Amino acid sequence: MSEIVVRRLPAGFGSSASAADRKAGQRLARKFLAVDDGARPQAFWKETGKRFLENKVGVGATLFILLLAGAALIAPWIAPHDPLTGVATDRLQAPFSSGAHILGTDEQGRDLLSRIMYGGRLTLIAAFVPTIAATVIGTAIGITATMMGGWVQTVLMRGMDMLYAFPAVLLAIAVSASLGPSLANALIATSIVSVPPVARVAESATRRVVTKEYVEAAKLSGASPVKVATSQIIPNVLNDIVVYASGLVGVSMLIAASLSFLGLGALPPAPEWGFMLNSMRNSISIAMFNVMLPGFMIFLTSVCFNLASDALREATDSRL
Amino acid sequence: MTAESVAEVAARKDDGKVLLELLNISKQFDVKHDGKKAKLSAVDGVSFAVRRGSTVGVVGESGCGKSTLARVITGLHPATDGEMLFNNKQLKGRRGKDVAKAMQMVFQDPHSALNPRATIGESIGFPLKVQGVPKTEIAERVARVIADVGLPAAYSSHYPHQLSGGQRQRVNIARALVVQPDLVVLDEAVSALDKSIQAQVLNLLSDLQDAYGLTYVFISHDLNVVEYVSDEIVVMYLGQVVEHSPANALYERPLHPYSQVLLSSIPNLDPTKSRRDERPDELDGEIPSPINPPSGCRFRTRCPFARDVCAEEAPERVEAEPHHFVACHLYTGKFDAQQPTAV
Repeated sequence: MSEIVVRRLPAGFGSSASAADRKAGQRLARKFLAVDDGARPQAFWKETGKRFLENKVGVGATLFILLLAGAALIAPWIAPHDPLTGVATDRLQAPFSSGAHILGTDEQGRDLLSRIMYGGRLTLIAAFVPTIAATVIGTAIGITATMMGGWVQTVLMRGMDMLYAFPAVLLAIAVSASLGPSLANALIATSIVSVPPVARVAESATRRVVTKEYVEAAKLSGASPVKVATSQIIPNVLNDIVVYASGLVGVSMLIAASLSFLGLGALPPAPEWGFMLNSMRNSISIAMFNVMLPGFMIFLTSVCFNLASDALREATDSRL
Repeated sequence: MTAESVAEVAARKDDGKVLLELLNISKQFDVKHDGKKAKLSAVDGVSFAVRRGSTVGVVGESGCGKSTLARVITGLHPATDGEMLFNNKQLKGRRGKDVAKAMQMVFQDPHSALNPRATIGESIGFPLKVQGVPKTEIAERVARVIADVGLPAAYSSHYPHQLSGGQRQRVNIARALVVQPDLVVLDEAVSALDKSIQAQVLNLLSDLQDAYGLTYVFISHDLNVVEYVSDEIVVMYLGQVVEHSPANALYERPLHPYSQVLLSSIPNLDPTKSRRDERPDELDGEIPSPINPPSGCRFRTRCPFARDVCAEEAPERVEAEPHHFVACHLYTGKFDAQQPTAV
């Protein structure tokens, strides 16, 4: 930039420089100060998506989850057998031992592949529903607490701390046991234990954002607190919350599976993976691999959720 | 009292041309000090009037309450005491959208003043959206103001991180101007910019002032910048106004000892014009805490002329020269009888 022209402002607002001088200087200044370099707008989530797609592990894990979701969704059409009715004579067939039951059968002679497919539905519901519910509620609590401050913040956040004081699984068991065993109650229990950590993440992220001058500028424009929250705060805390919530998906799934395993979640004969693990438990010495299969699926899915979450965390980690 | 008299004089002189009038504005914060609750008085009894179309510079060192004053004026902090008149209407409590439309602020830090998740166009258009302006009109006005501040139209769809500091400050100015305000409070608006960019932005501000008939309250610690842009200058020390005068009068003949020190601290490239030998050029110690401000004159702990009376009585503001107000016992007539004291 060889043609940098710095005009000293004449005392009394340009009384000494001619109008033509000023216009010329201005044009020159604008020319080098703000040239349209043809750069494309870089939207945060678009760039994050691009970086995520460069992460092979994350993409692999996501593909596995999509595969599982796809199989669960179209299970009625592709499942080889009815997941709920078994043939007593075909009990506990080892995986890959017969053409009829590729992954073997359970202790009532039900096809394991079909049950795993149908079970994927329950698993994905148990993974996503509590996460989404907890994210929405926790974000609302965290942002409200920080923006209101004072006693509202104290009441909300100390209430969250009280829930936090219990180990998550224990709290979930307590909630689930008091509500009675059912999948819906297990989902409610899982949601409740996930709200406090989300609220905390939302609170600390909001505290970082709320003092920023763009939030003050929005307030100055006469925007209502709700408008400030939705237009200025949420877009800027969303990445922190989404990254955290993506890690919660695997945890929710595990908690729901644990509850089902303990008989507090899905009711028989529903093909829930945790419950399948429990019902085949007694057969572990006879058919080890059959019993391990639902456990392996829980493990694999959970790992994939976590790998995808890590990839997302890395992808959002930028200066944008 | 003296506080009202400033405004009265201004009002009489300008006959309804006063846009903003501060009367004894104070702002205290509740803080914890040594484990006890205490009041931090950031702004204390500030009064001055801002005439329509003029620029009032507010100067003072860090911690003197300049930025708090900016936030009190714009309503981000409610004043704990005092009155504020804007367009001859008293500003009290929660402000309506009509005030938001007439009074805008340009913030210091061009990096944190723009929502990183919003495009430039969205950021600039936001105040209009809040005002309920229809979408097509928003697009039109945003495009116009982007051109006004000298940015290419394509930047409307860009994000703040893609812009340089100077460009971002132009966007901030555009956001303040898009609602076509009467008053713009500029809180250290160019301090974070390079010198060359500062000059560009200052030129832009003066052009815009001419074009839109804007009134500026220009807050800065940079005395050079304030001298160039201001018609009147308010010198603040520890939350109080110590001197208020037309800009040229202040720079030619500062009356308050603090203003004298402040002005002598401007480096002058011309050795024959250096003011270093004429006036005290260094202040002793730090600015005192606004939690326990010194009694009497708040500047007395660092003032080379301090006497007993300075500790006993706060100096009232006097018009030492025409339109030149100063709050110092050197000019109140209570000084001569006193003997110098070491403070």
